[in-house]
Amino acid sequence: MSDATLDQSATRWAGKSDGEKAQADLNFGNVPPASERDQDDPEVRAGQEARLRHVWAEPKGWRYWSAVNNTEVGLWYTATSFAFMLFAGVLGLMMRVQLSAPDNDFLTASFYNQVYTLHGTVMMFLFAVPVFEAVAIILLPQMLGARDLPFPRLSAFGYWCFLIGGIFVCGSIFFGAAPEGGWFMYPPLTTQERFSPGYGADIWLLGLSFIEVASIAAAVELIVGTLKCRPPGMRLNLMPLYAWYVLVVAGMILFAFPPLIAGDILFELERLFNWPFFDPERGGDPMLWQHLFWIFGHPEVYIVFLPAIALLAMIIPTFARRPIVGYSFIVLAAVGTGFLSFGLWVHHMFATGLPAISLGFFSAASEAVAIPTAVQIFVFLATLLAGRVIYSVPMLFVSGALAIFVIGGLTGVMVALAPFDWQAHDTYFVVAHLHYVLLGGMLFPVVAGVYYYWPMMGGRRLSDKLGKIAFWLMFVGFNTAFLPMHWSGLIGMPRRVWTYPADIGLELPNLISSIGAFVFAAGFVTVVWDVLRPRKGEPYAERNTWNAGTLEWLAEVPDEAWGVRSVPIVSSRYPLWQQKNFMADVDMGRYYMPDAEEGMRETMVTSVLDAEPVQCLRVPGPTFMTFWAAIFLGAVFILATFHLWTLTLITAVFAVGAILVWLWRGTAMQPEKAEKDVGLGLKLPLYASGPKSVGWWAMFITMTGDATAFISLIFGYFFYFTVSPVFPPPMMAGEEIGPGVLWPLVALALFAASWLTAILARNTNSKGAVGTARLLMGCGVLLSLAASAAILWGPYVTGLIPTVHVYPATVWVLAIWTACHGAAGALMLAYCLARSLAGRMTPTHDIDIVNVALYWHFMAGTALVTVATIALFPLAV
Amino acid sequence: MAIGNKTRDNLWTLITAPTIWGVHFLLCYGSVAYGCAPNENIFQTISGFRIFVGGLTAVALAAIGFVFMRALGEWRRNGGRIPHEEDSIEVRERFLEFSTVLLAGLSFIAVIYTALPAAMMVDCR
Amino acid sequence: MLVQRAAILVPGWPSSPQLPPARSSILLRPETRAVESLRPARHWLVVVCAGLAGCTSPQSALDPAGAEAQSVATLFWVMLVGAVVIWVAVIGLSVFATKIRPGAYGEKAGLRLIVWGGCVFPVVVLTALLVWGLQMMPVLRAEANGPTIAVSAERFWWRVAYGVEGEPGVAKSLPEGGVPSANEIWLPAGLRSEFLIGSPDVIHSLWIPSIAGKMDAIPGRVNRLVVEPTKPGVYNGVCAEFCGDAHAQMALRVVVVSPEEYEAYVARQGEPASVGADDEGYRRFMENGCDACHTVRGTAADGMVGPDLTHLASRRTIAAGTLPMSLENLASFVGFTHRVKPGVQMPSYGMLAEDEITAIAGWLETLK
Repeated sequence: MSDATLDQSATRWAGKSDGEKAQADLNFGNVPPASERDQDDPEVRAGQEARLRHVWAEPKGWRYWSAVNNTEVGLWYTATSFAFMLFAGVLGLMMRVQLSAPDNDFLTASFYNQVYTLHGTVMMFLFAVPVFEAVAIILLPQMLGARDLPFPRLSAFGYWCFLIGGIFVCGSIFFGAAPEGGWFMYPPLTTQERFSPGYGADIWLLGLSFIEVASIAAAVELIVGTLKCRPPGMRLNLMPLYAWYVLVVAGMILFAFPPLIAGDILFELERLFNWPFFDPERGGDPMLWQHLFWIFGHPEVYIVFLPAIALLAMIIPTFARRPIVGYSFIVLAAVGTGFLSFGLWVHHMFATGLPAISLGFFSAASEAVAIPTAVQIFVFLATLLAGRVIYSVPMLFVSGALAIFVIGGLTGVMVALAPFDWQAHDTYFVVAHLHYVLLGGMLFPVVAGVYYYWPMMGGRRLSDKLGKIAFWLMFVGFNTAFLPMHWSGLIGMPRRVWTYPADIGLELPNLISSIGAFVFAAGFVTVVWDVLRPRKGEPYAERNTWNAGTLEWLAEVPDEAWGVRSVPIVSSRYPLWQQKNFMADVDMGRYYMPDAEEGMRETMVTSVLDAEPVQCLRVPGPTFMTFWAAIFLGAVFILATFHLWTLTLITAVFAVGAILVWLWRGTAMQPEKAEKDVGLGLKLPLYASGPKSVGWWAMFITMTGDATAFISLIFGYFFYFTVSPVFPPPMMAGEEIGPGVLWPLVALALFAASWLTAILARNTNSKGAVGTARLLMGCGVLLSLAASAAILWGPYVTGLIPTVHVYPATVWVLAIWTACHGAAGALMLAYCLARSLAGRMTPTHDIDIVNVALYWHFMAGTALVTVATIALFPLAV
Repeated sequence: MAIGNKTRDNLWTLITAPTIWGVHFLLCYGSVAYGCAPNENIFQTISGFRIFVGGLTAVALAAIGFVFMRALGEWRRNGGRIPHEEDSIEVRERFLEFSTVLLAGLSFIAVIYTALPAAMMVDCR
Repeated sequence: MLVQRAAILVPGWPSSPQLPPARSSILLRPETRAVESLRPARHWLVVVCAGLAGCTSPQSALDPAGAEAQSVATLFWVMLVGAVVIWVAVIGLSVFATKIRPGAYGEKAGLRLIVWGGCVFPVVVLTALLVWGLQMMPVLRAEANGPTIAVSAERFWWRVAYGVEGEPGVAKSLPEGGVPSANEIWLPAGLRSEFLIGSPDVIHSLWIPSIAGKMDAIPGRVNRLVVEPTKPGVYNGVCAEFCGDAHAQMALRVVVVSPEEYEAYVARQGEPASVGADDEGYRRFMENGCDACHTVRGTAADGMVGPDLTHLASRRTIAAGTLPMSLENLASFVGFTHRVKPGVQMPSYGMLAEDEITAIAGWLETLK
């Protein structure tokens, strides 16, 4: 075993002496191949189980927090997002107290504004989206019969980012420094110091940008997990519906969050350095933020809604006692909604004075998206119709969800019509609509999911009695609170008002709403109590307590950390119902990978369409490096908020360092042997590079998201071109403005050269010419640094001043984006060179350089588009 | 691999039709936004852009129609049954074809919806 | 009155910096009365009536007094009936499937339900709705045949100019000129008037629910809203886009009159104030620098920051729809701006002597 493999070995975190002793007992490395073991021999199984248990055990003591397996991280993630939800719920109740009577003085205007801003922000960014990631991190591997997700450390990193960013954003209200511009933060109210002094808007932006990193990390993880980590035989047509939704939603995150990140960059540059992106006095336009925000914001609604519907798609068949009716229709609904949701964003901007014909396109798409949503609902109705429904608490919440969500959907169809929206927009009608959609489409299903899956997580069923009480309190309370809001909106109550006058009919509906809100809260507190109450004496629930058909119910009670005892061969949609003796075969280790012979955490990688086994993937174990990487990265964002630039730079260096150490010690490990017997006579390679490796997919997916952010910035450039009378603006004071053509073209040539060296380095390395490859990598580092300098030199030498006008500002943003990516490309090549020199990258073990070459394809595209936009496009106009 | 029909479906063929909708949608919105950009002369007709949208719609509908007919034909030729829950490459292929048919149908309607505003409105008011 | 209670709840939480000192003068009484009059307790009867018959309110989109609001209200009622029918059908179906006839149907029936209920029915209904909605849009934005009125939404009030000439567009600001006014807009009934809407600071949105839908006021853009009021009366307008602390109290009144009355009103607003320069209140007004922000045409006061006060007392409200126009309310607003309207840009003049405030308020009240 090489040093490298020892690093990820299970013994790293266990106490040294104990670990060595345990290792001796467990016989790691001296176990016969799985295919040669007799699974009917209890002694063999006991040895296997001891090894698996040891390998997958979470660390003890304070080292527990270095755990990375999906069950631990998923649990922290879920608990944290619910904690944020309760916090935001209290804020919601404070709002309802304030609005219970006209001219109330419970909260001041300014404080109310902070409260409602944080309520929306926290519910959306710290609960609705993260809880999807959290639940998916727990459930997805279980449903796919996988031991873990392909990048457990990435999940842990995402969690720590989420926690730090979330505390930062929420904490601000205790210092009266919370943002107060609403959860969509329209400039110029939020960008200009004179309207929003203090740090509130910066905290919002930088805190959430940081959390967006976590979301994208989760998206990468979940896409690769769904496509590549299914159990053998689970073809696309046999995937659990939840996995289809996760795939679609993770794909949506990948295209929805980057535009917001681009918007955040522009926004923060305006706030910190006075670059006038949204200032009309200097050529900017506040509308660009609205576009970028809602290109993110509308898909986000579906990012929140679809995973919760996915839970319904798992719960309903279980209680209808039959497979789902219309599986393909659900796929249609999920994929169709995923696409159409990107054509709705302007329906949040119907009142901004855009031409009616433009609004019409978005009105049309907003109506069209109701079709797949209707299909979704009717698939559930059809399944209920064709099944024999057993009622239970989860099912009660499912019914409540449908009843509420259908109302939200119907009002959604109403506000999708621009003429009606001109009345309803920014009123309590919309507040009611969005709560019906989000609570009916998300919170009720999630609570149904809590009641459904708790026996699996916590080992015991939740109380039926408390569940029913909770449901009725929540259902009645919710409708009492939110149904009258439709009314108050239409009789003239705008949203985001901290007070309202008497005598225009708003008193009664608001008082009813406030009472309902407290009833609803009482119901939710009942759920929380039911989950948290001590239940030491109660018996464990039986395994697969609802008699469901899908793989996650293989989980033992109480749970074992190994995920599945052996990785099963799947040949049906509901294996526990449709495959004979399935659970017993899994438990007896009769399928693949019943053992951890070498003491490594392993999971299986399969092909995309038909899930044919392709690799036995070693996944890394516990580490604190992800924690430190998140701490330092969080510090970068937090220090930047308070303009502490020196410290920001220092922590940025630490953050990059922590990430490099993490990658160096935990990725692209060289296995001690080329392949391994995983049982049933199957031998799988332990190492794969290129499109066969999960890392390559992760790079590809990450760069797709990165390219989306870049395209959003390019969209910004052409947006200004479209709305400005002349763009680029004519000469100012005799100076030609623009970055010139020479230096951008020099930069493009240098980027092209570094791209070629990266590809050549990959090719020569795989041919065995290690020396040439190292030379090429070295040259690539220098070339890309030179290219980055050249792209910045253009606007610098032509004297573009970004604070004067939006044109130089956009040119600078594109140049800086490209230069930063060039610098990252240089760092990656340097990393490969170091790996090669350290013997961690060889002609046969070349994941690093293959992935970096893939990065450079995207980099070359970025450089080409940037230069074409900033240098060549002005020549054409 | 010979599995009883000409094309081999995958996740990319599945999303072809909605992708066509997406491109059509963006081109419609982008061209009209450009055509109406200064938001002045709002009562001047924009016939050129409307004809462009019309042509674009015809192309998009033809392309989606092709996807629809191709997938439907292959699905029908091979039995035309749901629910595709058997464990075989053929059934997986049928499943992808049928889902492609459904998505193409939805995309077809969505493209017609997108074209409606350009058909019903003549200017930039 | 509007005590900063949050500051008491949690030490270290924010408190408003502009909390004026408590005063035991007569000035507190009128202010108390002004705010008290908006208190809920004594209005239970009104509350119940208004709650049940919210349709008859000066601020209700469901009590239309304009052609636009009328057509949208019709659309709403039709959609509401449809929505109720659909909801009852869907919920009824699920009850039927789970309670009344469980297991009576097979997969075939289920698939038929998906195709007809989930695909065909929504396509038919949505297509009809979409066509209806789309054909309304050009009509609601048709050409005007009445006056053009510039409305500049500013933190936290409305600058109004009657009879301007200009066009909507991007990268431009509102046209100059016209007859200036503030916080109250008169409109001729039966004519299609055109608002040109802009903002010099942040995004606002002009919404007069009884008359038409809303339109945003966006810095750097001039937006257009056409309204055709049909029923004479006084209606409320509000700011519908969050614009800062006093957003909730950025309202206005819309007075719909006959075209003749409209012409007469605008002519009157165009005239200078008929007040004497020897008035004590006027002297105090100038001494205390009120003219730095406010214009009173016909006097030396020509500030352009705040509302034009030339015919202030002819308006129905002060502080942008916050208080009814009266001598007491004028005095209490000048003395305690931030109590009446937290976040307002105008500073409190609580440091002035009582008689000084009374004099200013008294003079302002003569600006009919």
